[in-house]
Amino acid sequence: MNVDLSRRGFLKLSGAGVAATSLGALGFGEAEAAEAAHVRAFKLTTTTETRNTCTYCSVACGIIIYSKGDVRDGNADIVHIEGDVDHPTNRGTLCPKGAALKSYVKSETRLTQPMLRAAGSSKFEPITWDAALDKIARAMKDDRDANFITHNDAGVPVNRWTTTGFLAASATTNETAWATTKVVKALGIAGFDNQARV
Amino acid sequence: MADDLKTTRLGVIPEPPFVMLPDPGAVFDRRAERLRFLADGSRLGPYLGFLAQIVACQAVLVRELAPVEPLPEDAVAQAIAGAMPPIDRMGLAEAPDLDAILDRLLERVAVVPMPDAADAARRALAGADREARTDILAQVLAGEVAGEDAGPALFAAAAVQVHASRLAATLDAKHLRPVRVGLCPCCGSRPASSIVVGDKRAEGARYAACGICCTLWNEVRIKCLACGTTKGISYRATGEDAVIKAEVCDECRSWVKILYATHDTALEPIADDVASLGLDILMADSDWRRAGFDPFLTGV
Repeated sequence: MNVDLSRRGFLKLSGAGVAATSLGALGFGEAEAAEAAHVRAFKLTTTTETRNTCTYCSVACGIIIYSKGDVRDGNADIVHIEGDVDHPTNRGTLCPKGAALKSYVKSETRLTQPMLRAAGSSKFEPITWDAALDKIARAMKDDRDANFITHNDAGVPVNRWTTTGFLAASATTNETAWATTKVVKALGIAGFDNQARV
Repeated sequence: MADDLKTTRLGVIPEPPFVMLPDPGAVFDRRAERLRFLADGSRLGPYLGFLAQIVACQAVLVRELAPVEPLPEDAVAQAIAGAMPPIDRMGLAEAPDLDAILDRLLERVAVVPMPDAADAARRALAGADREARTDILAQVLAGEVAGEDAGPALFAAAAVQVHASRLAATLDAKHLRPVRVGLCPCCGSRPASSIVVGDKRAEGARYAACGICCTLWNEVRIKCLACGTTKGISYRATGEDAVIKAEVCDECRSWVKILYATHDTALEPIADDVASLGLDILMADSDWRRAGFDPFLTGV
């Protein structure tokens, strides 16, 4: 740790006295006092910068999210998102979709919970996660039962399900991508994109 | 036509170099100019104006001095291979070159109008014996200046910057490697502050600024420059849109200033560090301790 633990560091930690600053020692104590009196009226505000990965595509560009406040203190509001110069993939650049990420986060029409537009209905309505997952599992099972291919043209046994496709997200870890592949391929799904090809 | 198409650039992809070595004359010119600008109408005006003249003396001095002898090539190569900074910073305290530069600087700044306390510090240093001078220079080089020595230390620091920046300028940026997080790859000093640069080749990249040899070196953003952690980093400033903030680390309870030249290209790592003393004053009441070492702002 490159922290100054000098005499004055200890002095300050122990509260034993106020050490002289460059300004005080050189006869500019009045200017220092004027600045101190001025800033006392101000309060320090907290902002945060957070590294993340753009959620749009498999390029997985690095981004920096700027917020007012600190989410660790229970309160943060995103004010800006930009490309992360330190990230080796995009080196600070973003595509037009990535550059508009803040609008995506703040969008009034952003999906924040599972929604269902029932057959014959003209509008989406909220549905619980459990109900949504049950419904998806039911649809997958029905489709697989109806269309599963057990043997190819040559009569060789296969595990092949071609009527359902699966698209996984980009900002996943290798482990998530591995698990996703295992589940999807075990079901026999042929049309599968884990967005890990770039 | 084909050539035109080839050279058309839709955007610039930053390729931040690891280090930006100082051009001492240009660094001191720009710093003096910035200090003069900041002094105008500031509550800290008297001090900033004084510093502007000290830095102007540094700028004249680097042009007057005979070219500096580059460091021995094999010693530089050996240091870099061992992940050590090539400039033996602490060894400079006893270097005859630096002592001679200190003499010339003290002579030159004698004409600068300054408060009695500053003039007394200047005289004390000019009249001090070699041992006392070495002690003050060593404090500056170590980044630990005792309160009672803060006055003479400023003049000593001005001489140190002239000498160390000239030495750094002789190094080859291509060969320099990181020494450790938050330490200058040329001289091993802690940074004074850090700056998110705005120029095209490195736009948005953060550089730590050495207060000793004036080198700028690249450090990943959102990372503590004292302990290297990327956890628990947040920022404090007077206002959300401030262009100078304290980068605060909850792991080691310290902070270093970060200047956003992407929002104000005029920012200068040393001049604006001093001019933003108000932030130091507010942070002094917090639980975090300043980790940056600026020889023009000791004891804050």
